[in-house]
Amino acid sequence: MSIARASRLDFNRKTLLGQVGALPWGLILLFVAMAMIGVATLHSATFTNPGEADLPMKQAVRFGIALVVLLIAGLVPIKWYLTLAWPIYFGTLALLVGVELFGTVGGGAQRWLQIGPIGVQPSEFMKVAATLALAAYYHKRWNDYSGGFLLHVPALAIIIIPAALVFRQPDFGTTLALFASGGMLIFLAGLWWRVIMAIGVAAVASIPAIYFFVLQDYQRERVDTYLAQLTGQSVNVMDDGYQIEQAKIAIGSGGWTGKGYMEGTQSQLDYIPEQHTDFILTVLAEEFGFLVTSGVLVLWMVILGLSLAIAMRASSLFARFAAAGAVATVAFYILFNVAMVLGLLPVVGVPLPLLSYGGTVMLTTAACFGLVCSAHLGRNEPLTSS
Amino acid sequence: MNGNRPIDALFSRRALIAAAAGGTLFGGLIARLFQLQIMEHERFSVAAADNGVRLDLAPPKRGRILDRFGRPLAAHRQAGRVSIVREQAEDLPRLMNVLSDHIEMSPERQARLINEARRQASFQPVIVASELSYEDFARLSVLAPQMPGLQVEMASTRSYPRGRDFAHVMGYVAKASERDLERLSDGSTAQERSAIRRLFKHPDMRTGRSGVERFAEEWLRGEAGFRKLETNAAGRIIKEFDDPALAPKQGKDLYLTVDSDLQRFAIDRFESESGAAVVMDIESGDILAFVSTPAFDPNDFVNGISSKDYALLRDDTEYSPLYHKAYDGTYPPGSTYKMVVASAALDAGIINPEERVFCPGHYRFGNNTWHCWKRGGHGSVNMHWAIKGSCDVYFYEIAKRMGVEHLAEYSKKFGFGQRWELGIMGGRSGVVPNDAWKRAARGEPWYEGETLNVGIGQGQVSTSPLQLAVMTARIAAEGKIITPRIIGEGPRPDADIPLDEPLDADLMRRMKAGMYGVTSEAGGTALRSGDLGLGGPRLAGKTGTAQVRRISRAERASGILKGDNIDRRLRDHALFVAYAPHDDPKYAISVIVEHGEGGSRTAAPIARDIVAEAMLLDARRTPVYTRTANVGGSSSGNGGL
Repeated sequence: MSIARASRLDFNRKTLLGQVGALPWGLILLFVAMAMIGVATLHSATFTNPGEADLPMKQAVRFGIALVVLLIAGLVPIKWYLTLAWPIYFGTLALLVGVELFGTVGGGAQRWLQIGPIGVQPSEFMKVAATLALAAYYHKRWNDYSGGFLLHVPALAIIIIPAALVFRQPDFGTTLALFASGGMLIFLAGLWWRVIMAIGVAAVASIPAIYFFVLQDYQRERVDTYLAQLTGQSVNVMDDGYQIEQAKIAIGSGGWTGKGYMEGTQSQLDYIPEQHTDFILTVLAEEFGFLVTSGVLVLWMVILGLSLAIAMRASSLFARFAAAGAVATVAFYILFNVAMVLGLLPVVGVPLPLLSYGGTVMLTTAACFGLVCSAHLGRNEPLTSS
Repeated sequence: MNGNRPIDALFSRRALIAAAAGGTLFGGLIARLFQLQIMEHERFSVAAADNGVRLDLAPPKRGRILDRFGRPLAAHRQAGRVSIVREQAEDLPRLMNVLSDHIEMSPERQARLINEARRQASFQPVIVASELSYEDFARLSVLAPQMPGLQVEMASTRSYPRGRDFAHVMGYVAKASERDLERLSDGSTAQERSAIRRLFKHPDMRTGRSGVERFAEEWLRGEAGFRKLETNAAGRIIKEFDDPALAPKQGKDLYLTVDSDLQRFAIDRFESESGAAVVMDIESGDILAFVSTPAFDPNDFVNGISSKDYALLRDDTEYSPLYHKAYDGTYPPGSTYKMVVASAALDAGIINPEERVFCPGHYRFGNNTWHCWKRGGHGSVNMHWAIKGSCDVYFYEIAKRMGVEHLAEYSKKFGFGQRWELGIMGGRSGVVPNDAWKRAARGEPWYEGETLNVGIGQGQVSTSPLQLAVMTARIAAEGKIITPRIIGEGPRPDADIPLDEPLDADLMRRMKAGMYGVTSEAGGTALRSGDLGLGGPRLAGKTGTAQVRRISRAERASGILKGDNIDRRLRDHALFVAYAPHDDPKYAISVIVEHGEGGSRTAAPIARDIVAEAMLLDARRTPVYTRTANVGGSSSGNGGL
């Protein structure tokens, strides 16, 4: 309670306007630019289908909301996140258990929790919540262990518990996202290299076991399809293989400069399922070509790089870890999605932030960058009094 | 402070390593992009250019719907179709102009089609007309080679060879609307959702809108496939490959338990009356005829019915052709309910069947007078005489003695007040009234006087013709549980009937004796309809009249208005329930003639003729689907996409 009151005073001292001015506006403008590219691409991907004509407009409205979320999340003092990290984490964990018990099944998986009129997807909150919890944990405990091995065991638990719940839903993409961004934070906290090596070896060794015992049939099928197309075998054109093959044709036929806005025959032909959601990159690649598509990837690298620099400049461990975790979460989405669309990874439903149609990932991304902005504003606060 | 702790330097070092790793991964992706887009560009652009093999979605053929003897009720018909393809047309308006010489089209329609073609992707065909006559099809086929952009082809459409005979049972198929798409993709993953959307947007694809077509959608749908086509640069199809692995799979056939000849006979027998009839096989519960007349023609709906024609069907509130009277219609059962009331009274032990009640033609209770249909009264009657003479006073008396709660509870054992799930959509439960029901529905307590009305099947009690047929079958089978069904082979609905227990056989035999008396003994109300005309077996049944309006005291004094003296809509409904043969029951039937006035005069002869026809046709004989394979043997589950 006292912390919250002190923070509020703090907040008032530096005027709100001053805070707004101090936000990392360069980063935010690049963020907006990326979202604009997303809406334009979506327009091209959907305009032939009368039933989907309103999707770009919906996406633009969602982006407007997401931007407000980003700014508000950015202006919240970093101290508050530290105070609230554990309540948020355990609250979200409780919601995940709620999904397990009372969740509604949507899209073949049990992910949604109905609270009154609102449907919430707690697994999505968990990405941010786990980052906050890990950051708070390392902030408080790192010095107790001075980087010893035991330091990381509770950290692992912070990830594994929600990851197991999410995996049961089943939501493979989010499970991976939790491990990827959590693993990144454990790495940044200085897990010994020899442990990292050991984990790497164990992970490779356990792949067959995971394949045969953990994956569900449909997931196994996707992996098979993926391996088949990687090695150049002919794949069953009716299923995922068809999707990957058509995606590759769309991308490959784009060339240097693409076929022109709304001219992509593959995209306009409706050959590619999910082309306005997970496979949006195919539209970009076919219609705008290599130069623009790789430009978009470079733009993402710049955005992520700037954010990571903010993380490194912060003085408190909490701000550093929180911002770095946010970067890792978004980076995972992008890397995984692009690799999947380019046929390098199996098809797992991971969207491309700011480009794919959908509100959930948009909000998660906005929250992540809001956290980065907050770390930026609070970069000189040591946060030791707590 | 910053930088003093070992973690700070460590964090920065590790962050730089992570950034380098991330940068490498991004670099790798850009390299892969370069490989696909630049190095392999040639290969992929050839694949993408239309000069290559293209896979076009091919919708599956819907499974057929057949009657119990394998006669098709829903099948396929080839129909000629003409469409335009913008990409190939040199001059779209001119093409439309030429087309309008052959097909009747208003200028507005022409403009709309051109507009549609321009809005769509250039290679997607726009259908101009889909039900070409043979002459038109031949003429346009000759024209097509000289007119680029004109596409004339045969396509398969759903057809209902029996027309309106099974309109309500079967429902119809139509192009999927946005609402249908929502429903069809409910509970699917995003990926399945887009596949469903693509499939149902195909011009040849239809979905069940009502009836069994809708209920059994997945069973009937089949699996989509692809047409493997070689096309040239302009998108014109050069040749089609035959690839059985890609071919769509036809949906599974579905068998109904009905006999389509019996159905036809029953509908004809109603002539111009509106009404419903249900014929059931007492042994199996198979519904052999499920008539609701008049009906609509489902063929009119397959390619979209015009709003004018639809309005004609919808606005006919007197004969209501869209309404499934046999299943969705609920009417007061009138005197056909008397077997239920009598057996409930015996079950309650409030009367001895030999006890006599005196009927002077009216019954006084409180300050009111209830009337018997027979103005002069029946005199002194026991239960048997009360049933066959349909004495209202007797039933007022026993209903009052047992009270409405026991009557309601016992009624439910016959299947009243609950909906039978048949797997054809629709169906109503009707009302078995009691105090709790009235408080919930009307917010008022039950008045004892209302019990008297329910005792003769009038007032709040309402039942569907299907429920009456099930009641009759259960009486005829001396209390055995009989569950009606109409899907012989197909997705079986879950019949979840809360109150389903056998009835007392002794009581039911007594009711049967009463029903035999109605058609075959002196004093019976339907003596004229007892003889089936088959030289032996007789019909046992019960007449009924469902009141449509209240009769005022003044009208009763001056003579109740009937026939031509009163507007058709105000005339009572005529009911008849029966089973046959009387000594070895095989068939149960219920008939309602809307506004037919007297059960014995209009409904009973129809019921008698339908049952006689069923026996002549031997409608119960073994259906084909049980001969070929055991039910449930066609296992492969629901056809997805």
